[in-house]
Parts: sequence; C-alpha cells; structure tokens
Amino acid sequence: MIAFPGRRSRSVEASGPALVGPDEWRRPLVKWGFGGAQLLLLVGLIVIGLGPLVWLAKSAITPTNDTITYPMALFPHGAAWSNLREAWTNVQVGRYFWNTVELAIGSWFVQVFVATTAGFALSVLRPKYARVITALLLTTLFVPAVVLLVPLYVEIVHPPLIHHSFIDSYWAVWLPAGASAFNVVLVTRFFDNLPREIFEAARIDGAGPFRLFWSVVLPMSRPILGVVSVFAVLASWKDFLWPLLVLTNPDEQPLSVRLPQIQAQTSLGVFLAALFIASLVPIIGFLIFQRSFLRGTGLGGAIKG
Amino acid sequence: MATVDDPIDAYWTDSEPARVSGHEYRRARRTPVTWVRGGGLATLLFLLPMLFVFGAFSWYPIVRTVIMSVQHTNLVSPATWVGLDNFRAVLHDPLLPKAVENTAEFAGLALIFGYPVPLVAAVLMSEARRFRGVYSALAYLPVVIPPVVAVLLWKTFYDASPTGVFNTILGWVHLGPYPWLQSQQTALPSLVLESTWANAGGTVIIYLAALTGVNRELYEAASVDGASLWRKVWHITIPQLRGVLLLTMILQIIGTAQVFLEPYLFTSGGPANATLTVLLLIFDYAFGNSLGGDYGQATALSLMLAAFLAVFSLAYLRATRSWSAK
Amino acid sequence: MKSTRMTALLAVIVTSLLAVFASSVSSAATAKTVTISVASLIPGSTPAAIAQFNAQVAEFQKANPSIKIKPVEYQWTGPTFAAKLAAGTLPTVFEVPFTDARTLGDNGQLADITTEVTNLPYFSKYNKAVLAEGTTAKGKIVALPKGAYAQALHYNRKLFVAAGLDPNKPPTTWAQLAADAKQIAQATGKTGYAEMAKDDNTAGWIFTTVVYSLGGRMEVGRGTSAQATLNNPKAVTALNMLKKMRWTDNSMGSNFDYSWGDINQSFAAGNIGMYISGSDVYTNLVSASNIDPSIYGLGTIPLAKNKTAGVLGGGTEVGVRPDANAAARAAAVKWIDFFYERPLVNKAQAIRNAQTLVASKQPVGVPALPLFNKKQYDLANTWIKPYINVPLAQMKPFNTNIFNQQLVPEPAASTQSVYHSLDAAVEAVLTDKNANIQQLLDAANSTAQGLISQGK
Repeated sequence: MIAFPGRRSRSVEASGPALVGPDEWRRPLVKWGFGGAQLLLLVGLIVIGLGPLVWLAKSAITPTNDTITYPMALFPHGAAWSNLREAWTNVQVGRYFWNTVELAIGSWFVQVFVATTAGFALSVLRPKYARVITALLLTTLFVPAVVLLVPLYVEIVHPPLIHHSFIDSYWAVWLPAGASAFNVVLVTRFFDNLPREIFEAARIDGAGPFRLFWSVVLPMSRPILGVVSVFAVLASWKDFLWPLLVLTNPDEQPLSVRLPQIQAQTSLGVFLAALFIASLVPIIGFLIFQRSFLRGTGLGGAIKG
Repeated sequence: MATVDDPIDAYWTDSEPARVSGHEYRRARRTPVTWVRGGGLATLLFLLPMLFVFGAFSWYPIVRTVIMSVQHTNLVSPATWVGLDNFRAVLHDPLLPKAVENTAEFAGLALIFGYPVPLVAAVLMSEARRFRGVYSALAYLPVVIPPVVAVLLWKTFYDASPTGVFNTILGWVHLGPYPWLQSQQTALPSLVLESTWANAGGTVIIYLAALTGVNRELYEAASVDGASLWRKVWHITIPQLRGVLLLTMILQIIGTAQVFLEPYLFTSGGPANATLTVLLLIFDYAFGNSLGGDYGQATALSLMLAAFLAVFSLAYLRATRSWSAK
Repeated sequence: MKSTRMTALLAVIVTSLLAVFASSVSSAATAKTVTISVASLIPGSTPAAIAQFNAQVAEFQKANPSIKIKPVEYQWTGPTFAAKLAAGTLPTVFEVPFTDARTLGDNGQLADITTEVTNLPYFSKYNKAVLAEGTTAKGKIVALPKGAYAQALHYNRKLFVAAGLDPNKPPTTWAQLAADAKQIAQATGKTGYAEMAKDDNTAGWIFTTVVYSLGGRMEVGRGTSAQATLNNPKAVTALNMLKKMRWTDNSMGSNFDYSWGDINQSFAAGNIGMYISGSDVYTNLVSASNIDPSIYGLGTIPLAKNKTAGVLGGGTEVGVRPDANAAARAAAVKWIDFFYERPLVNKAQAIRNAQTLVASKQPVGVPALPLFNKKQYDLANTWIKPYINVPLAQMKPFNTNIFNQQLVPEPAASTQSVYHSLDAAVEAVLTDKNANIQQLLDAANSTAQGLISQGK
C-alpha cells in the first residue's frame, strides 16, 4: 500500500515519534538510555557517514606527500588547490565528467520515455493484452541482473539483425537502461491512482490518446517523474560494469570507468581531487533533491512487497 | 462514475454493443480500420518503446542466456552446440567451490553487519524529536556516492602500512597495524565493511518509511498496559514491520550474492582468491582472457546462480510464509 | 477522427526515423585517401607526450599525402583487447605483446602482411628470433616487433646510499639481493624488495622471471600438447626465497597487491628499494610518475650459476587488422615502418625522432634489446647519442651485463593463462605465513595444464 504521492502524505519527516510516549521520555532510564543511544547514533552517523567524505574533501586539496605521511593532519604545509585544477585539466577529469553527464542525460531520457509511454498505455489505455505484458514485466523484476550480463554484451558486439557493432557507442548504454521494470511499475501504479474523472472530462472535450498523454497525464505526473528522474540519473552516475564493458575508448568513458584506470599514473593528491570532483554532482544533487530520493527509496521498499 | 478498473479504451472502441433507444445493435465487426479507429494503433505506438527496449535488452537476452549456456561461442566462428559440457566444465573448475564459499561468506557477513544495524538506527531515528532530516541525510549520503569513488577512497584507507589512514587512527588507541586487504583472512571482511558503509543507508530509509506506517494506537494501548520500551519494540514494532524486514533480507541476500564491484576493484579477487566471488568468476570466464572469452561457461554459471537464487527465494518465501501471514 | 490522423502521422514519423537510423549505421562512403587508425599513446599520457606523437603524425602525413592517420589512444589490457577484437573496433594498426601475437596470427585475427614486410629495405637484418614472434605456424608474417625488452632489476640509488650500499653495485646473486633488501628495510623503513603480486597475471609474470633466473622452466613442448611444469624444484626454491624475504627478513613492506603501473608509481615515489620489471619501464616512470632521474638505477637480474638460468625476454608486436583491405594494409605497413622500425635503421629518421622526443621532454635512450643485430643497435645508439637524456651512467650495470646473459623467450603455450595460474600461489606466499608451497604449485600446475590442453 503506498500513499498517493500527490497528497500531503505521511512522509518520513512529517510523522512524529510514536514508540516512546511523552511521559516515557520523562523517565530517567529512557531519557538517558534511549536518548543517549540517539545521540550516539547521531555522532556515529556524522563520524562514519560524513567522516570519509570530509577526509576526501580535505585530502583533495592537500599535497600528496602530506597525505601519505600525515594522513590525518590538517594542512601541515598549506593547501594545494592546484590538485583540483590539475585533476580537471591534466588528468582530464573534466572530459570524463562531461561524458558522465552525457550518459546520464541519455539514460534518463530513455527511462522516462519508456516508463511514461508504457505506464500510460497499461494504466490509462488498458489494451486487452495488458495482463500479458504486465506479467512479462514482473518476470524481469525477478530475474537477477547476472543473467543478462553476458548475452547483452554479446548482443551489443554482434547485434542479431544489424551488422554493425554498438561497442563504443553511447546507445549501448542508453537503450538498455530503459529496460527497467521497476520504473514502469512505479509509473503505472502512479497513473492508476490518478482520478479517472479527469480523463473522462478530457475525452468529452475531444482529446485523443496523444493529447491526453501530453497535456493531461504528463503534467500531473511531476512527483513520480521526479522520483524516476532522480534515480535514473543517480543510477547512471554510479554505473560501472556495463560502461566498462561496452565503452572501450578511454576518451568516451565516464568517470566511474576511468578513475580506477588512471590511478597508477596520477599522484595521490590529484587522484583524490578527481575522486572528489566525481562525487560532487551526486552529493549536491542529493542535498537539493533530498525529498525525491528519500521518498523514492521508501517507495521502493513498498513497491517490491 | 469511472473507477480505477474501468478500461479507458472502452470510451474509444466501437466494440461494445451500442445502445440506441433501448435496442441493442449488433457488435461492430473488428476490422483493421475499427482497430485503428478504436485507438488500438495508438496503444500499440505507446507500448512500442517499452516493447522494443524490453524485447531487445531484457527478454531476448534472457532467452539467449539459456541458449548460449549449451553452446560454445567465441564470436569469431559460428556457435556450436555442446550440450551440458559448459556446465560440466564449470562444476569441475577448482575455483568454483572457493567462489561459492567466498560469496556465501560475503552475503553472511553483510547480513550480520548490515541487517540489524539499520533497523536499530531506524528505530532510534524515527523517535527523534529534532534533527530528523539530518539523520536521514547523513545515513543516505554514502549511498549516493558512486560505488567506484567509495571503493577507491576506502582502498586508500585500507593501506596496510602503519601510515595508512585506518592504521593511523587505530594507532591512536594502540591497535594494529592491520593488513586489511593484504591478508587472506581480513580481505573479505574489509570488503564487507565498505559495502555496508555504502549501502546500509538505503535500508535505513526503507525501514524509516515502514516505521511511519505502524499504528500509533498499538503503542498507546501497550503503554496503557504497562509495557516497557523493549517489549513494545519486540512485540509491536518488529511484528508490524515483518513484511519489510523479510523483504529486505531476501533482497539483500540476492544483491550480495551478485557482488562484483568490490572484489573487482579492491583486490581483483585476491589475495590468492580470497575474495573471488561467483560474479567475478563469471566475469573472468567471459572477459578475462585476452584471446577471447568462454561465453558458454560464463552463461552456464550465470544460469546456475540464477537457478540457485530462484530456489532459495522460493524456499525462503515458503519458510517465512507463516511469519508474514497477516 | 483527429486521433486517427495523429496516430498515422506518428507511425510515419517513427518508421522514417528508424530508416534514417538504419542507414546511418551503414558504413561511411569511401574517400580517395586511405584513412587508417593507429594506436597512439596509453590513456593518461601527458600533453607533452601527446604533442610529440601528433608531431610525428604530421610528419608522416606530409611525406605520404594520400594517407590519413587517425590516432587512437590504446593500451593493451587483456579484457579490453578481447572486447575490441570481438567487436571489431581495434584500430587498423595495434599492438599486442609477444605472448599473444602468434596465437592471434594462427587464429586469423591479424592481417597477413608478409608481402608488404618482405619489401622493406631492412627486412633481412631482422633478428630471426624476434621476427619469429610475429610469424605464424604456417610461416606468414603477421606482426613486426615494436620493441623487445629483457627483464631487469630496477633499484633506487638514493635508498641504496641511505642503507650504506654502493649504488653502482646492484646485487649479482639472489642471496645478495635478499641481504640488500633486508638492509634497506632496516635502515630506511622502506620496502627493500617488491614484487608484482596482483591477480591480473603480473604476479605470475614476474614470478616466472624469477624462476627462469634460477634455471627453471614453466613448460616443456609447444601448442596444446605442451606439458606444464609450474611445480618444478626451482619454482619451489623461488617461492621459498620470497617467503623468507617476506616473513623472516620483513623486507617486502606491508602492501603487496602491486600491478605493473602501481609498482612503477610506488618506486618513482621513492618507496621501493628494488623490483623487477621490463628494462624499458623508465619511459613510464618519467611520463606517468615524473620520477627524479637521480634516484634511478638499472641492473641485471641475478642469474643462478647453471646452464638453464636465463633472463626472460618479452616485447610488443605491431599488427594490422585482418579485415583491412590491400590499400589499408599497405598504408598500415608504411606507418609501422615510419613510426616503429625506421628510427632503428635510418640515421636521419632516428635523429628526427630523438629531437621530437627531447622537445617534448620524453626520455631518449632507454635501454632495450636489439630488434636487428647488436651492431645495428649500437649504431643506432651512436646516432642519437647527443640527444640521450636518460641517466645512462646509472644504467651501466644493465648495459654492460645484459648481453652476457642468456635471453629466454616467455613460455610459448597459453602464456597468459600460465601466468594467471601462478598469481594465486605468489599471493598466498606473501599473505599467509603458513602457505604450503608445494601444494600451491601443484594446484597451479594442474590449472595451467588444463588451460594449455584447451588452447586457452
């Protein structure tokens, strides 16, 4: 059961404590025990969750020698902002960064396009054969990713009908990204919850299916599109194995594939700067779109159940 | 009034019997024209992207996996049928038992470290009266970091010399220095530690969302009955969460059974195959030989793993059915 | 109805898009000039190195106006090579190590360039053993050597001095090497001796080098009927040597998962006293890690005093894609001649090459093995003598001794698989104090034997 996302649902932040009642908090054991545990958790989260990233940020602008000899010291010999510049230009992190952006945009578009059109067809247009398609969709949800790896690769190298390999083409990354049953199910369920009256009204006004899709359904889908988009971009940014296999030209590879390969040719300080740059977009994106992330993850747990 | 179950295309097809002034007319014959007019083509066009993408990149590869597992393919000469040879070769590979053992150990350790801790954290977080958002953001932050960045960062932490980051920190409390990735005993746990750091946040958020669905009145009733905090958690929170708990456990097992990135980037399966996992073995079969891979063996092992996970999931669902039955 | 028309219009658009897509996928129109893609530098090379390469491309294109060169960054690694090979996306001219060239040729995955090559003016001067590395079992030439190297001992002169050792006298026996390593570790706290031990075949490669230097061999025979001898007594000795250095002397540091690039990087940073790798890695030490030349020393690997002890040789071959047409093949061989071979046989070309390298601060004069005969090699070195910018004096121990050492080719059958089988044994010894050496080698042997018989 998922809450209809359009309404002000009980989001993670909105609901209040329930387990520990107000008078319980007054009891010293609870106050100090439970409360202490919470404080410990907060400190733990800061140290463990934030710590490594703060160290990365610090070391990104620390000279290599200092990082090696005094890893935990704070700028014993001053900061080295040149690390960042060198990473962006000399090590060409800038180019790989834009490659990653390009891959993310393409994957995002394919995913949104496939999910919305399929969701619209399955949920709104409801053909007679929708059951069959939904069943096929759900089976892919339960097939582990490992099964697809090798044949998908062979298919990209030697596509069945076209005599032209798609290795080193971004299409080899963009198109398979769209085959996400999770996205389609998410969007379909969302559309299921849209009020049918609006469709009826639109139809009476003379709207055909395309009009309905473009002018009525899509504008109403912003929340779910937000969730799908955020996860699509993040998944693309994090993708490693697939781009490693199908993009063999270093110039076209995204950050996640290049970074391990340039480690042996890059001094530690510059390398850490590169790592830092690579994590900037996801971190900033997360801080801005927190709501979508957290709602989507919560939804994810609900959907799969 | 239209409900969710009314097919919208009923509004457009002519296939329903038309009622005019009380008399029922014969159902219009379904011809291609009526199909197109009835919105059938539109529906198909809308489904086309999904059918193409899934057909080409999901359903077709699944079928191909089965076919390739009984063939010998090397992409240079045409594929030949070899029956169960690939499966036999995989079963005779001396590395297979090691890979299975390591994968099981990884999944097991990940379950121990990464399963109860998020639950405890989520319960604590859900009861926080302030800083709710901060908790969630901090917990989820490691999840958004690209796994490659996380692994490479932790690889620096795991430097086994006394001046490595972790060894330095542990040195402050007179512990270590530890070999981390340089020892067959500590390599796999090191991988699990990083993997937990990078993934536990997602589980925490899922639990948090589920916790908001627990009925307050249950807690209030229990308080009235004089139940202690611990009893409330044990008898209300956990049973109410059982669906999500069972789900995340099986999902985590299925996920960790396919672990690839950590062993590949941290240690390449070493030292001495101490971190060789099934996925890494599949990768080696298919992509490890510079002269061309053995795709038949790779797909055979993939199928074996998938079959195992399927059987395991079914057994799991059966075994937990009694507990999750509402 | 409006939507029907809309539907039809959409259908037309979709089908025409598909048609456009399909036609763009077909091959581009052929031009008058022949365009070939060539392997250029490894990814991550400095802008100076890239500029130098482009300068040479410009020079070639000026001399051959009908040929257009497209440089493609290239680095041979096992998995990506196999992928590109299968997908057909290798550049027209690409490089493979000696170990793979013959098998690729036998499998028809390298173009037959016999006719073009035999017409080269210096063809008869080639060292027969080196040329054989690029010749198939049927006698067709499929690749020309880019460079050959011998395994060598690289050592840090600065650490030697700090440990009280003579920097001009690298160890000449394995016992001395172990002792020197121990001394360095104790005096400076740095790693005395490091060995590649990553699971990507480099562990097995260096270990094979050590075993060969003791007089052992990994295989007997050729092709799929070769017998694996990974567990020979010299291999046991070598692992025991390693065990002693690691656990008793504690001279191998705390990190062991070095690969080819990592160990270079760590050495250049001054953290390693001695290690074994190809004699030509100085180029990488400069281009990738900006090594301080004064710390670099090059010596020969200590050889045991028996008849079979030899130094492992290796090298890189340059081949052409099998599907290159006659014009492309001719252009490819012209490029190979210009870029790879001529600087070794033609004085003017050698000097021009050296000048461009110096101008972009690339090393000139890194020791290598002669592809032709020693006389030619010495002659070529005199041509570029004014431009040599590597510390040749510090490489004297290598240059004076190497030609007295017996050069042995790498194991011929399933070379990479043999190395891979040994990776685990080496790693086990370095990470487990109680590793059972005989058992490890026996396991490696049976694995290798299986792969050899399958021709993998």
